[in-house]
Amino acid sequence: MPAIEVENLRKVFYISKKDPGLAGAVKALFRPRFDEKVAVDGISLRVEPGEMVGYIGVNGAGKSTTIKMLTGVLVPTGGTVRVLGRDPHRDRVANARDVGVVFGQRSQMWWDLALVESLNLIAKIYEIPAARYRELLDEFAATLELNELLSVPIRNMSLGQKMRAELAATLIHEPKVVYLDEPTIGLDLIVKERIRDFIKEQNRTRGTTVILTTHDLGDIEELCQRVIIIDAGHIIFDGPISTIKDRFGKYREITFEVAAGAARLELPAGADVIAAEPRTLALRFDRTQTTASQVAAAVMSQVDVRDFSLAEPDLSAIVKQIYNGALQEEAAA
Amino acid sequence: MISYLRRQASIYGAIAASVPKRFLAFEIWFWVGLVLGAIEMMILVFFWRAVYGQTATLGGLSLDQTLTYILLAQVFAALADQDLIWEFGYNLREGLIAHMLLRPVGFQTNYYVQALASLATRMIMQLPMALLATAAFGLRWPTDLAAWGAFLVSALLGYTALFFFHWILACLTFYTTEVWGLGVLVYGLTRFFSGGLMPLAIMPVWLRTLVLAIPFAQSLAIPLNFLSGITPVAEAPATWLFQLAWVIGLGVVSQLFFRVAVRKVTVQGG
Ligand SMILES: Nc1ncnc2c1ncn2[C@@H]1O[C@H](COP(=O)(O)OP(=O)(O)OP(=O)(O)O)[C@@H](O)[C@H]1O
Ligand SMILES: [Mg+2]
Repeated sequence: MPAIEVENLRKVFYISKKDPGLAGAVKALFRPRFDEKVAVDGISLRVEPGEMVGYIGVNGAGKSTTIKMLTGVLVPTGGTVRVLGRDPHRDRVANARDVGVVFGQRSQMWWDLALVESLNLIAKIYEIPAARYRELLDEFAATLELNELLSVPIRNMSLGQKMRAELAATLIHEPKVVYLDEPTIGLDLIVKERIRDFIKEQNRTRGTTVILTTHDLGDIEELCQRVIIIDAGHIIFDGPISTIKDRFGKYREITFEVAAGAARLELPAGADVIAAEPRTLALRFDRTQTTASQVAAAVMSQVDVRDFSLAEPDLSAIVKQIYNGALQEEAAA
Repeated sequence: MISYLRRQASIYGAIAASVPKRFLAFEIWFWVGLVLGAIEMMILVFFWRAVYGQTATLGGLSLDQTLTYILLAQVFAALADQDLIWEFGYNLREGLIAHMLLRPVGFQTNYYVQALASLATRMIMQLPMALLATAAFGLRWPTDLAAWGAFLVSALLGYTALFFFHWILACLTFYTTEVWGLGVLVYGLTRFFSGGLMPLAIMPVWLRTLVLAIPFAQSLAIPLNFLSGITPVAEAPATWLFQLAWVIGLGVVSQLFFRVAVRKVTVQGG
């Protein structure tokens, strides 16, 4: 059984349209008019247990709306959602026991309670056996570095502290499926790293299924093998990250450290110099026309090369191309 | 069945136990509340003494009876306190209703348990007021156990009825941004119509009829009438039945209201 199965899911929001001013408000009372906003437009997907899937797209693409429907908080306008075989909205309580959700913008914790009090309460609510709870609390405190925070009320925490606390609170009942809607928003690199490690660890040791939305492609590269790209409510790509890189990482960069610059370089077709300084030389080449080894060989035969490095295809540059319509162009071609 | 109940008791017990901890986060308000409460008690006592300067009885009550009632009403003022409107308003504004729907607990049960725990917490926090009423204003505590029994059952029923009533009002916050206005309005109505400032017996007939037709008095005036000896204990069963009818009626309506209101979040997306 797949962990998540979504068939032709749609969500239409109706936004009431009012003319400005009191007259407009009164008129709207008698003859309400609505604007339709199709936020999610017929998406289908399957996620197997233990998968970590990145769910990305531009602002307003429909990511959060999808996540809310997956959690059961938002009722779909059309289509079906099954999570662990259940309808998450109809079967609210049973579903809640098996899933965990982080909405990066909002904390789910009791504002005035110390973190450990919040966690104790969650342990009771989810009926975590006492011994298991203590084990997990120790483990989480260590990986998320929560020890100093346990006695601090949530309202006194910094953003990064709050997010670490939030993750502990979301995962302490060992949910089978976890939705993370922008869990790294606004966090520094160190905290991001810690959070990614924690999520990875949960997935590795417990087989937690993770759906992750983010605008930080570092999260995706670190955590997910599979990525789904949504645009204006439609899925425009669903597949392994490596496929995107292969398909769209047309250009790659190679940088040489050289003893002395050469006046003129003979390069294979498709390769260009993008920066030439006294000691470094950066080239870009089109992978459909040539290869890294041909470019490197050509350069080394002409200048004295001390070192060189091949840059990984840059996911964020690729995704930017896709957001800008590279997929449609490809489909049209 | 037994094990199901034990599990539920453990879950909701933990939720209840978290309530006093959250109250303790507001120490300053505790002290401010005490000072204001003491001032209010003093004003009310002087007010009623002045009123009785002209007459020996009012609505069949002597000065002593009225003062006992008023002081008890101050001590048990928490019976009229409900936080649902503020809670719903806050949770809606912060988008937290979704989070609560993601907890594996009954939505209304969760709030009801918290309301009971708030009541218990507030009662304990009112202890200094009880001391003040006794020491400074000579409150003589009732000794009739039957009166206490009638009071407690009636208070629990009335508080439950009031909870459902506030639930219905709180459902309106799904549709308006004027939570503050609604909250203040209901607070004001409660102060007056709960019967905490004036015994029902003293009110003119039309006003008393009105007060009994709306639920505010069920949690304070009605139970206090037993405790202060104004209503004989013999009338308790009839009163309880009447209150139970309030509980059932408002309970059913509150569920209907919520079922519609929550669609604002689950269908319209908040
Ligand atoms: N409750 C709502 N009522 C009306 N329209 C809504 C509502 N929620 C979302 N929308 C609209 O639906 C579209 C999708 O929104 P959604 O929040 O799913 O985007 P997102 O992909 O999560 O964007 P972001 O990256 O900015 O978080 C947007 O155009 C948004 O304005
Ligand atoms: Mg979003």
